[in-house]
Amino acid sequence: MTVQQGNGINPKWLGIIAVLFGILLLANHGNELLKQSVLTPGSAAELFVPADCRVDELDEEGLSQQECELMVSNVQIALASSPQWFRPAMLWLSALGIFFAIFSIGTGIAFVGGRKMNLTMTKFFFAALVAVDLCTFIAAVNTGPLLRAQYLWPTLLWFFIHLTIFAVVMSYSTSIEQENS
Amino acid sequence: MEGPLPKSKVVLHWLTAAAVFFLFVSSWWMLALPLPSENFTYRELPFQLHKNIGITVLIVVIVMITMRIKSKMNKPQLARTRLEKLADLDHMLTYFLITACCLSGYLSSSFSGWETTWWWLVNFPTWSEEDEVLNILFSDIHMWTCWALLAVIALHIGAALYHTFRNDEAIIKMFRL
Repeated sequence: MTVQQGNGINPKWLGIIAVLFGILLLANHGNELLKQSVLTPGSAAELFVPADCRVDELDEEGLSQQECELMVSNVQIALASSPQWFRPAMLWLSALGIFFAIFSIGTGIAFVGGRKMNLTMTKFFFAALVAVDLCTFIAAVNTGPLLRAQYLWPTLLWFFIHLTIFAVVMSYSTSIEQENS
Repeated sequence: MEGPLPKSKVVLHWLTAAAVFFLFVSSWWMLALPLPSENFTYRELPFQLHKNIGITVLIVVIVMITMRIKSKMNKPQLARTRLEKLADLDHMLTYFLITACCLSGYLSSSFSGWETTWWWLVNFPTWSEEDEVLNILFSDIHMWTCWALLAVIALHIGAALYHTFRNDEAIIKMFRL
């Protein structure tokens, strides 16, 4: 069988990809917002309060004593390796990420449903998603190695996913402009 | 091909999808937080939010099941292809697993001795005093139904992508607002 050439970009394909990744991104940024709201500086883990590992709780959760203690260390890692600016930066970036993820879902639904779209706005918002990933990546680069290990790779994956979608939107827009001219 | 769906059902579908994925990702993260004690209160907000969203999803799914049953009753029964029957099975399984997941989560919480307050407003009844055995039983059911739900969702998304890339218009009704 030979590979056959298709006729340009199908907006429905672009739409469903935008919806799928929009939903996943919404969950991702929603969780980041929750994380930054919960892990606050000056809380018990940062004050080196020892872990409270009751035997009944360990049984219930299926944890060892060491795992229970490491859960506190996990919070200490997040707090100790975050520069002062990191938490507010991540709160802003995840809030922006949530906004643009909702836009991505809405745009995707419109693309698949065959509704009229403002392509300039669409290009702007998908470029904004790439920009949010880029800013998150830069923010993570400027923290310590412990946070970099947590953030850099998933952020890079999101960056390339959004860059791909943005490139598809750009080529779709160009082909529409050429058709109309 | 089926006709257009009510807009409310389309909106509820996408809200449920977003909520379910948030529940998955946030639960994986929150279970790595320190165990609760007087000093360590990190789990309070995430667990409360998890319960709030979980109970809301359960209510939404009950509404969606009711809408589905009503629309089936009002429609003439036509012969269905094997793929359509499979799609029906996938939907029923998804609804069943979401319901089982949410109910087992609520029951586990109920037997753990922690109160369930929906969106910090409505107190849900606890079924009995704290019961370790029932708490662990419902917690296990919660975990396994959620894993099964994730598998069914993966199939659901896979099928949606398949139909989209085939351009067969089978999923377009889920995108008409």
